[in-house]
Amino acid sequence: MKDFIKACFLVAYRDLRRFWKFKHWLAAQLAMNLADVVIFALVLNNMVNRDYIPDYVKFMSTGVLAIATFASAFSIGREVGGEMRREVHHYLLSLPAPRAALAAGRFIGGALRGLVYQLAFIVLNLLVVGVPGPVQALAIAYTSLLFSLSMSALAIAVVSSTRDFNLQSTFRALIYYTLFFFSNVFYPKELISLRFPGPLAAVVTHAPISRAAEVYRWGFGYYQSLDPMALPEVTLWAIILLAVAALLYTRNLSRQ
Amino acid sequence: MGALSDLRTLALFAYWDLLRMRRRTMFVAMRVVWFALQVTLFALALSAMVRFRGYVSQGLDYYHFYLLGVYASILFSISTSNAYEVAEEFEEGIIEYHLSLPVKRRILTLGRAIGGGLAGFIFTLPMFGIVLALIGGATPWAVAASLAAALAFSIGVVGLVLSIVLSVKSGDATDVLFGVLDAMIVRLSTIFYPAVVLSKVAPYYYAAVSNPVSHFVDLLRTFFFFEEYRVLAVSDPAIMASYLLGFVAGLVSAAVYVVERKLEGGGWR
Repeated sequence: MKDFIKACFLVAYRDLRRFWKFKHWLAAQLAMNLADVVIFALVLNNMVNRDYIPDYVKFMSTGVLAIATFASAFSIGREVGGEMRREVHHYLLSLPAPRAALAAGRFIGGALRGLVYQLAFIVLNLLVVGVPGPVQALAIAYTSLLFSLSMSALAIAVVSSTRDFNLQSTFRALIYYTLFFFSNVFYPKELISLRFPGPLAAVVTHAPISRAAEVYRWGFGYYQSLDPMALPEVTLWAIILLAVAALLYTRNLSRQ
Repeated sequence: MGALSDLRTLALFAYWDLLRMRRRTMFVAMRVVWFALQVTLFALALSAMVRFRGYVSQGLDYYHFYLLGVYASILFSISTSNAYEVAEEFEEGIIEYHLSLPVKRRILTLGRAIGGGLAGFIFTLPMFGIVLALIGGATPWAVAASLAAALAFSIGVVGLVLSIVLSVKSGDATDVLFGVLDAMIVRLSTIFYPAVVLSKVAPYYYAAVSNPVSHFVDLLRTFFFFEEYRVLAVSDPAIMASYLLGFVAGLVSAAVYVVERKLEGGGWR
């Protein structure tokens, strides 16, 4: 068990260190996420219907926290995809570590990237939206951990399913855009329910990013109450995505 | 004879850029997915959420307003993506190869700007068609004028790309600069919101009214919905058209200057 944890830690640590290699991607991502709050939300706040969204800046700050965590945790997919194409995974398989530890280490490495990157947006939310109480802070930490773990696992499973660069990029983009737009980050779920057919509204409401954003909105005090199903759904998404991703990644690693 | 030969060389460079479109097919495919989601889910939800208050006319349809914005933003984004292509060419030594050819550098730059602009324009034609269908058609004059504006805008953006990438000569700097530029220029423009709404935040307003993207997108809007958008546009249609032409001429000239005077000496970083 000790060896398993050590191997897991080493793999995760390697992935976290390699995160800084992408400082240019990080700078551009940071600019985009910040611009969504300090430009887009600030201006749109003068145009939104107050019956739906009383304060769009606060609404978006919490939403961008979810998007930022998702994008940075998901970014590990690009690297794992590159490894699969260049067959670096053969080297990883030759390491004296169980495959489960390798997979867990990768998922944790991706999640750590999400957690590190989200810190700037946690500070932004503390300044713009409010300071969470102890229970809310715990809920935010719990959601961040599970959400970034599941997004990292999802990205890894998706890109490892093929070694073709074009297919990898297409799968990643499709999943990224679908999760990004089919969420309540930019618009409240009440509006989705009013404007779109029932099944689509349900998909948006129960999507992992929507659930994470909802916990953040409640955690920082934008919402007064939290849907009792939000945290269980965050947990359920994490369990499902981690289990499926672990199976797929370990299978894809050894596939010829 | 000289002028004819220059024209032929220019056409060859433009054609070469068009042939390289194939390398970017996957990038464009992803942008098409992004576009499809933007004009369906995102734009519909946003238009349901937006309520213009007193200072903007009540009859304004935000969905139509935003559709042309999405088109402008995708044209800008695809034309800007040339930056990564040029950066890659620098790394592969293609830029040095081009410089060694027995052609005038002015012609080389003009050919690349026109070719890159044409490629971006052609890539976004299907999306233009979709926007046209969603806004319920338009007069042939409006379609022709907006296509001409789109082509000019795309060439101007490629001029900007060439000027910046060939000046900074660094792959990393190109990544950061264009990531930030894309994020800022689109948001600090009238793509999502009319200029009058931006006037609530003075620095953003001045940034938007001097932003060529705002002039381009508002010009498109006045082509299609002259009465509704004339009062909301950043400027008078003639001024916006002049601004757009000035943008193209200025940026392409800047690119010519960089290639003729600044490109040689110092390698790619």
